Amino acid sequence: MAVLAIAEESVTLSDLELALMTDMSEPSDPRALFEEQALPYMDQLYAAAMRLTRNPADAADLVQETFVKAYTAFAQFQQGTNLKAWLYRIQTNTFINNYRKNQRNPYQGTIDDLEDWQLGGAESVTQSTSTRSAEAEAIDHLPDSAVKNALQAIPEDFRMAVYFADVEGFSYQEIADIMKTPVGTVMSRLHRGRKMLRELLADYAKDRGIAATTGRPAQTRNVSRSTR
Amino acid sequence: MTDCGCNKAKAELEEYLHREVSDADFLDISEHLATCDDCSAEHLVGVVLTEKVRKACQEKAPEELRIAVLGRLEQLSL
Repeated sequence: MAVLAIAEESVTLSDLELALMTDMSEPSDPRALFEEQALPYMDQLYAAAMRLTRNPADAADLVQETFVKAYTAFAQFQQGTNLKAWLYRIQTNTFINNYRKNQRNPYQGTIDDLEDWQLGGAESVTQSTSTRSAEAEAIDHLPDSAVKNALQAIPEDFRMAVYFADVEGFSYQEIADIMKTPVGTVMSRLHRGRKMLRELLADYAKDRGIAATTGRPAQTRNVSRSTR
Repeated sequence: MTDCGCNKAKAELEEYLHREVSDADFLDISEHLATCDDCSAEHLVGVVLTEKVRKACQEKAPEELRIAVLGRLEQLSL
């Protein structure tokens, strides 16, 4: 991609730079270019697909479909813009069109309208500093499987907002573009998603006796689990 | 801000964590966190949560998938 960025400024390039570019021989073959630029994102797209589809077979199908669509639309990709975000946008669309309609989710489409109490997110109990430190430590000691399970337990739109921000490090604006939603909705999904995640993990740690955790009301976790 | 900085920090910790605040706010909140145990403990929970999620979501695509994708691309190029 760096090479192409340079190419756009070719008027200012020296002969040496031009010679270097020629040596690097940017693939003129679109397939070679696509393989070089897009395929390195396969692991990440697969990880996201696992969060979306919840099983390896569907995740693999989704990623394959994503690459096929991306390849056939690659001429429309504007070099120099964010390829990873572009691929995620295609994968998200593909998922919605091909997979989501097969899944039963009574909250879909209305999840953003639900009040916090309906999601089980009681306003956070006032905690002392030491309780927070204990909570951080407890979460830190949880196994990856617990974190993945908790992610699977929160509503899909919240889960993916958290995934895009915390795993991929996308900006709120990029997430808004990928999820086709206003930035304010992204912020709300992130906030609620992280809060639910935190509560689920605190409960998990408490159940497993991993460390002293918060004294949250028991009904909080029951309600949040019922939102699956 | 007329308060000690806690209100502002608490309201924006998540955006701070995701680097979605202005440079000026970033400095304000960083300064506040350095001196406020309560807010910095809350921030730590957020940091740990992000880090756990990030680590838990690292996956490697199966080799069969890589081969299948390359096969599809080759087919499409014919």
